[in-house]
Amino acid sequence: MRLLKLLLIPIAMAVGTTAQSQELYVFSEPASNMPAKSIGIRLTNEGVFNPKFATRTIPEMMIGFNKNLMVHVQGFFSDMDGGYKAEGASLYGKYRFLSVDDVKSHFRAAAFARISTSSRPTYTEDINLEGDNSGLQGGLIFTQLLHKLALSATLSYSKAFEQDRKQQTGMPQPDQMLGYSLSSGYLMLPFVYKNYNQPNLNLYFEVLGKTNPENGRSYLDLAPAVQVVLNSRTRIDLGYRFEVAGNVADRYTKNMYLARVEFNFFNVLK
Amino acid sequence: MALTYALLRQMSNKNINYIFMNTIKNLIILSIVLFAGKVSAQQISSAELQVTGLTCSMCSQATEKSLKTLDFIGAITPDLNKNLFAITFKKDKAVNIDQIRKKVEDAGFSIGNLTAVFNFNNTKVDDQGLAVVGTNVYQFLNAKSQTLNGAVKASVVDKNFISGSSFKKKAAQLKSTSYTEGSGLVNGKKTRIYHLSI
Repeated sequence: MRLLKLLLIPIAMAVGTTAQSQELYVFSEPASNMPAKSIGIRLTNEGVFNPKFATRTIPEMMIGFNKNLMVHVQGFFSDMDGGYKAEGASLYGKYRFLSVDDVKSHFRAAAFARISTSSRPTYTEDINLEGDNSGLQGGLIFTQLLHKLALSATLSYSKAFEQDRKQQTGMPQPDQMLGYSLSSGYLMLPFVYKNYNQPNLNLYFEVLGKTNPENGRSYLDLAPAVQVVLNSRTRIDLGYRFEVAGNVADRYTKNMYLARVEFNFFNVLK
Repeated sequence: MALTYALLRQMSNKNINYIFMNTIKNLIILSIVLFAGKVSAQQISSAELQVTGLTCSMCSQATEKSLKTLDFIGAITPDLNKNLFAITFKKDKAVNIDQIRKKVEDAGFSIGNLTAVFNFNNTKVDDQGLAVVGTNVYQFLNAKSQTLNGAVKASVVDKNFISGSSFKKKAAQLKSTSYTEGSGLVNGKKTRIYHLSI
């Protein structure tokens, strides 16, 4: 309940102040989709410094099938278990089922699902389906754009499907996790648009949390990020998430940096 | 006997006359339809499009690139601050208004307003406000029993060409199935009807 309050207060504050936005979130996905018949290519590098410095590289392809359905395919490579090697893949699909548009504002809702595989050994009850675990995830996203400000909330349920032989002796085995996030994005630059070639600068602030529904163990991260969009098609993200509260031992993605570049190719599919 | 014969001859003469006149009438109608069909190719010359649900230039770029896949679109000039697109259409291609809406929706957004310049050539608007121009059927909301000539600026006020709330308001006010469905019977055939406001 305390976590819920923590999440609701910023929503109430943001709705109360007439604000303005961007919704190309760095640590979460908006309810909006990419344009139909378009392809996006992403390369993400993320890393943690504890217990040792280790990084993961995620090549990703995004496909907009139609205005409502899009799919991401990801591959995971990391040196978290020794040398750099391929550790798994993930398929993510998002379906936008509600769209209320107005001049410079919109409200969208989408449902998403993810299926992931990972060869990594298991040693925590935390679930991260972007590299660390095998399993399924489903959830809902609600995004409100108010001119230059975009607010988004995500709720998800993750279920791990790990083989017992992957479990490190004496360590917990992941089972299920509830995820929730609240994201805000703000278009800083340009103040006035002149053409498509002007760089856009967006600032993001996200609150990311997870709870194990069986025992209530949770964590909550704050994640600021900065983003530059070049030529209205190339996107560069730089972010950092740090834990502000939590009691999940050996959790994933704790105090992690993220760097990403994304290229968009509009109308390339027939 | 002779009288009956004379009567019969007169009747068949009348019939031939009738058939002949009808054929001419039909030919005239056919040529008008053909002529109108040709004119309709360049009937809509330009449009101003207000796209809703976006603020960023990446979104505008996606919308513009989606629109440019339509073969009848000539040039697009965007106003990125107001999310307006000024479109000129090619002279030799027929403009499909629904396709414009589809392309905006494909990019992930919606049309808030579409005002186009229609070039009419002796277009008769009947007492119900209905006009047939080539293959397009227009229902005028604020014009009837008149003849339209030359460039006329009109807004398309159909569903998904204005905001959802504006459409609901208009639908309640008009109480017309042709408006809520965007189509109706024209000469006994179910036809797409664009509702225009001058």
